[in-house]
Amino acid sequence: MKILGVGSGAREHAIAKKLSLSIYNPKIYWIGENKNPGIVRICMKSGGEFIQGSTTDPEVVSSTAKRFNVDFVFIGPEEPNFHAVPDHLERLKIPCIGANRSVALIEMSKAEMRRLQWEYDIPGKLLFQTFKSAEEAYLVLEKYADSLTWLQNVALKPARQAGGKGVKVVEDRQIYLHEEKQKFKSKHVSWLEGYMRGYGDIEDKILVEENVWGPEYTLQCFTDGTTVLGMPMVQDNKNAHEFDIGTETGGMGSISGPGMCLPFLTIREYEDSIRIIGKMVSAIQDKTGKRYHGVVAGQMMLTEVEGPTIIEMYSRLGDPEALNVLHTLKTDLVEVCLAIIDERLSKIRLEFEDKAVVVKAIAPKGYPDNRSLAIGHPVAVDEAKVSEIGCELFWASCNLHEDGRITTAGSRLVEILAEGETLPVASAQIEKAIPYVKLTDGWGLFHRSDIGSEALLKRREELAERVRRLYLYRVEKGTVGKRVDWLPGVGKVDPVSILKNGLRR
Amino acid sequence: MPGIIGFYPFGEGRENWDASRFLYYGLTALQGRGEACTSIALLESESKKINIYKDNTHVEEFYKRLSENKVRGFIGIGQVSPNEDDGLIEVKEPIRLVLAGDGKPGYQGNRVEAFYKLAQRLSTLLTEREDPLDAATQIIKEAGIGFSFVALTEREEMICCRDPFGVKPLEVGAVGFDLGIVSSESAALDVVGAVHSGPIQAGECVVFDPLSIRRRNIPNSESRAYCAFEYVYLARVDSLLNDMPIYNVRERIGEILAEEKEAEGDVVIGIPETALPFALGYSNKTSIPVKLGFMRTGRHIRSALKPTQFERIMGVQLKLNPIKAAVDGKDIILIDDSVVRGNTLKNTVLNLRRKGAKRVHVRVGSPAIISHCPFGTEVPPIDELIGRALSEEEIAEIIGADSFAYLSIEGLLKAIGLPRDRLCLGCFTSEYPNKEVRK
Ligand SMILES: Nc1ncnc2c1ncn2[C@@H]1O[C@H](COP(=O)(O)OP(=O)(O)OP(=O)(O)O)[C@@H](O)[C@H]1O
Ligand code: SF4
Ligand SMILES: [Mg+2]
Repeated sequence: MKILGVGSGAREHAIAKKLSLSIYNPKIYWIGENKNPGIVRICMKSGGEFIQGSTTDPEVVSSTAKRFNVDFVFIGPEEPNFHAVPDHLERLKIPCIGANRSVALIEMSKAEMRRLQWEYDIPGKLLFQTFKSAEEAYLVLEKYADSLTWLQNVALKPARQAGGKGVKVVEDRQIYLHEEKQKFKSKHVSWLEGYMRGYGDIEDKILVEENVWGPEYTLQCFTDGTTVLGMPMVQDNKNAHEFDIGTETGGMGSISGPGMCLPFLTIREYEDSIRIIGKMVSAIQDKTGKRYHGVVAGQMMLTEVEGPTIIEMYSRLGDPEALNVLHTLKTDLVEVCLAIIDERLSKIRLEFEDKAVVVKAIAPKGYPDNRSLAIGHPVAVDEAKVSEIGCELFWASCNLHEDGRITTAGSRLVEILAEGETLPVASAQIEKAIPYVKLTDGWGLFHRSDIGSEALLKRREELAERVRRLYLYRVEKGTVGKRVDWLPGVGKVDPVSILKNGLRR
Repeated sequence: MPGIIGFYPFGEGRENWDASRFLYYGLTALQGRGEACTSIALLESESKKINIYKDNTHVEEFYKRLSENKVRGFIGIGQVSPNEDDGLIEVKEPIRLVLAGDGKPGYQGNRVEAFYKLAQRLSTLLTEREDPLDAATQIIKEAGIGFSFVALTEREEMICCRDPFGVKPLEVGAVGFDLGIVSSESAALDVVGAVHSGPIQAGECVVFDPLSIRRRNIPNSESRAYCAFEYVYLARVDSLLNDMPIYNVRERIGEILAEEKEAEGDVVIGIPETALPFALGYSNKTSIPVKLGFMRTGRHIRSALKPTQFERIMGVQLKLNPIKAAVDGKDIILIDDSVVRGNTLKNTVLNLRRKGAKRVHVRVGSPAIISHCPFGTEVPPIDELIGRALSEEEIAEIIGADSFAYLSIEGLLKAIGLPRDRLCLGCFTSEYPNKEVRK
């Protein structure tokens, strides 16, 4: 058997590894923009090959697949989906694990995702409004106390999935700090307008969303369009720095287990979340008439108003979340892929080891805001030492050169994984491995020591409990999803029907 | 016991933040820790220079005067202190830095002098060590115990350290994807709209730079000597200290007071503000109703720590007017937070009687203060401390109360929920944590 993988981050390293461990003993071929040393090694060992090339050019990917005559293609990241790589492969009758462009819209357009959710009345919704320019957005935001309450406390986002960048969460509840916050909102919508100029494939530019609070989690699933099979819940950590401070990143590390739920979430919340994701899959298939083959994931939050709530959808595995679930997956991954291709996923039982797993990313300073500073630094990693400590290392954003040197490529450099009986044990294990990842030119690296720690877990637990109490009270009262507001000079208004009327128009 | 705060933005457009607004509200929230001197330092985005502003006044007045200057800066630190001329400390060379400190490090001299030495040493270490985290770790190893500080350098680093025993507090919070805030108390984080992340640990240093936050604990930093006076008096009741809600401690103190030295009375009255939760705890335990006994006039002044006696008497009379309807014809259990010299209480008891109170039993929510504080808390000279000189019976007689009792040390430990060897109880016991003895 031969498989072609697409993408070159740590997520893809983990996928390559898992595929290579299959009883089918496949030859692993891969295509990626950066030469990922981990993937290169797996390809070599399996008798396959690593090709450096564009992952978003359907021609390049499909010709590579044909050249090696692979049995199927596994797509790691989202951009190939957005660029119709799976569609192209499908047309050439090359099976593919990857959401085609039509269904991947649930990830590509955060605005379309919300519209779909409201149109099909799927639980876990948030109020939202889209704008085509900064000015348009600002006119609404500056009304502040004269507009709906939710428009004062918002998440400001690029309307398109834009590489895990550009989201700002602005709570504007302290009237004495309002001026500051208002200035910030205005600056950010202008920034978003500029940023979105780089993306011509979507009409909406700026998404303003109701601000919510609660514990976040990612629920990743395999789907063949009919069956949706869930994997263990994972929690990523988005803030770049310790103490949950700082810029939004692609994810600085993730925790999962033991078991299918995170320690601070319940089985009922798991099941509700799976149902929501299932409905999203049905809805997008219904809307587009296209089948969904591959991975679908909900990046979710337990919130007061809606309970399990979609923050955004993924049309692929998360990074770093993929590492957690693939590590404990006992079922043969190739077997799962074949079942998706043949649309017989209902016959598969996904099994996972009952372990706590922690992943931490190590990034060069400059990530994520000043990537030019983070590029091109020579890397020295003592992989033997890392595995001696009992950790596993996955290569992420880096380049392997002809002469064997490795340099940073600007994003997260490596991701280190450890398992344990508990999350804090696994977290402490990784800390021991951190010193064995270095840059030899003296440039700094950073990671988050607090991910999976006792202290952080306790905070997450407290947060979850506070939200759950409120949510369950709403369940009891029958007020889930209900928002009421009062506009001076207008009177009592229902933001939900305002939104629905807007969508109907 | 000053209040200190640091403000540090991250990400796209970080230069646009106006740190002084956040410092203003944060410092206002910390004002219970001192209001004789306010100072802030702001790092300006274009020049990358730090400007320092200091004044011997409270926060509101400080900012009123400040608004005439055009102050700007996107990173900043601030301090409020109970003593005049005790503002931010500046070192010009080798690396220019400004420091806000709570407590007192183990260098010679008074608080300001000791922190000056620390700041100077830190500046030197920052040039000697390539990694500022190494410099900060070295400072923690060298500077003894009893301090927390936040330092801002002109290289755009914000360096935060807590001594190896964690005597003085230091808490961290975050706002969105943008701001990191460090403060003596978690309540100040709430006030500026930050989410409280938790404490900086004893012996831990945290270094903020434009591209990262890094932290490190000195090895074997297992010893603790959390300041007990923080729990009973200094910290705000809406703060969390070392993960423990102050409110819980204070309510428990009230309950324990009731257990230890029960008094007969018709109403429980707490002296605002600090003793109110004690009174609630006492009332919960005994089912004796709690009443609002006083109305305050003027700004809240923390009376145990005001400098001169004259001011204290003036302060209390202006401040606390007993509510006649609540006390007239009643036997009163009067709860106060601490007794330093006894004058305040003497006046309060007298005022209550003149409004018609019959019996007045005084209970104090802390053990007697009998000794000085080596870590910067202003305790009056030993010969002025009434609890050191006199028995409870004698004090009752002097202040004109029908009975008088302190919380016991054991009661205090029980209320805080920590064993004796995890706390500093120095001003209550005259036994101090010692780096050599405690390992
Ligand atoms: N409505 C909201 N209320 C509160 N916080 C939110 C909201 N929307 C997003 N966030 C926060 O911002 C983060 C990023 O948002 P989102 O996932 O939509 O953006 P992204 O840039 O696509 O992220 P990713 O890196 O996952 O691709 C979320 O993980 C969450 O912490
Ligand atoms: S001596 Fe008193 S005030 Fe000083 S640190 Fe110890 S307990 Fe706190
Ligand atoms: Mg996301």
